[in-house]
Amino acid sequence: MADIAIWPGSSSFAPGKTPFGFYDYDSEFMGDADKVAKFCAQRLGYPIQNVELQDINFYTAFEEATTIYANELYAYKIRENYLSLEGGDARFPLNDKIIQPNLATIIKYSGQYGTEAGVGGNTNWYSGSISLTGSVQDYNLDTWASENGLEGENVEIRRVFYEAPPAIDRFYDPFGGTGTGMMGLTDSFGWGGYSPAVNFLLMPLNFDLARMQSIEMSEQIRRSNYSFELINNQLRIFPIPSDGDTGTKLWFQYLKKDERLADSIIDATDKISDVSNVPYENPQYLKINSVGRSWIFEMTLAIAKEMLAYVRNKYQNIPIPGSDVTLNGSDLLAGGEKDRDKLVEKLRTYFDETSKRAMLERRRDESQFRNEEMTYIPMTIFVG
Amino acid sequence: MALFGEARDISMFRHVNRELMGNVISQQVVYYKPDIQETVVNMYGEASKEKYWNEPVLLNSIIERSDQSYPDSEIGVDFQWGITFKFLRDDLLNKLEEFNSNSVYGANLVPEVGDIIMWKNGYYEVDGTNANQYFVGKNPDYDYKDDNGDNPLGNMDLDQFGYSVSIICNTHYVPADKLAISPYKERF
Repeated sequence: MADIAIWPGSSSFAPGKTPFGFYDYDSEFMGDADKVAKFCAQRLGYPIQNVELQDINFYTAFEEATTIYANELYAYKIRENYLSLEGGDARFPLNDKIIQPNLATIIKYSGQYGTEAGVGGNTNWYSGSISLTGSVQDYNLDTWASENGLEGENVEIRRVFYEAPPAIDRFYDPFGGTGTGMMGLTDSFGWGGYSPAVNFLLMPLNFDLARMQSIEMSEQIRRSNYSFELINNQLRIFPIPSDGDTGTKLWFQYLKKDERLADSIIDATDKISDVSNVPYENPQYLKINSVGRSWIFEMTLAIAKEMLAYVRNKYQNIPIPGSDVTLNGSDLLAGGEKDRDKLVEKLRTYFDETSKRAMLERRRDESQFRNEEMTYIPMTIFVG
Repeated sequence: MALFGEARDISMFRHVNRELMGNVISQQVVYYKPDIQETVVNMYGEASKEKYWNEPVLLNSIIERSDQSYPDSEIGVDFQWGITFKFLRDDLLNKLEEFNSNSVYGANLVPEVGDIIMWKNGYYEVDGTNANQYFVGKNPDYDYKDDNGDNPLGNMDLDQFGYSVSIICNTHYVPADKLAISPYKERF
């Protein structure tokens, strides 16, 4: 029967001994692999006890620990910068790049509000019009839609140009100097806004504003001002159009609801579209500093503990002559899992403490503390 | 095909056993087998004159002791002490086994009735042996293959599964003067 060798006390790393080979040709990784194997074996009790693992088990754990470290690091970087990364080029690795914060994604996010507010956005608005008919107050815009090759359900009216001419066109130039009592007179003659240029008194802007408000309020109260009501694409306009209005076009703007959805989906081939394609590659082990490597060593040990636990725990009892024994697989497994969780938690805390937010908060605190400390310096009276 | 108790698992058991018996429990005994070529026997197969012994072999063993007793007999007070010596069977196989080559193990002996085991400078004669401890109930020495090397039920690799763990020797105490085992050749 075969004899499967166990850890003999030393090892010699060579490329190809790890499952994935991510770091096999990294000179520092190659140099550390055997040291880590020895460290783990001795931490697991060798040479007092046998360790039923081989060098490749330790190398596997070492590779996994390095990859976990990189995953945690880059996941943190992605979380920290995703708003600045989304939509960026996904073809080139970001490993050695510094990411400057930008507002590109925030502005993209804001486009939706622009669409709804009619100030930009990412969905087109279209213009349409209906012809008014004298004495007809109600107009079915679904009918208009079908006449124009649209589905009424897909049309959302965004704006109706129902307003009266702007008040600024309705009163003559205040520099005309004819006084408030003549408001509307020049307009009635068709030359509102023209200035007879007889008043050279400098008038403040609030004077103009007050006049415009006055005109608009007059229109609303003294006249039946223009308005409309739109419910379920049924347009009712006020006042009831007169016969003279027949044929006049009432313009409105609308958007197509399906475009609102379609326009929100952007083709992102070769671009960063989610956290899975942010272009981070496996790190170069040789660039990981001693703080990171120390973490990796500890994580390697935790993984090795789990491995050894699985080996020793495959069978509940191990037969020995005339009896059987139970090995410490359960303890090893519990210890390994606990170590692993603690290490990951420690690393995440460490990363979080170096986030932009945390660093800014720290600077703020330092500044506050420094200022507070300065207040304890006696304020002497200068004697010249 | 069998699934559990494959040679890889058994190898791990062997490592654990040798560590446990060699480094943790560390009970050692000396095993003597009679040299049947040198020993002259009578018509009943008894050694009527001197008994000759092969070179002793040092073995790890798990020792299970019963209480000593002192029964009265016609010639006085006797002394009895029954001891069970449990050996890892793999330790007793020869050096040609892969797991024994390049190791201190591989005694190449088969315990039999009449063998002598020395422990604590006392001698114990083997009354009976027991090789009946099989992991997952299988002994890989029996793979049930026909003349063509096939197992009719399709289990072609039974020789790689199971484990005959131990050989257990039940013994009784024997006074040293009855055995005439001596490390000094000049005795003869």
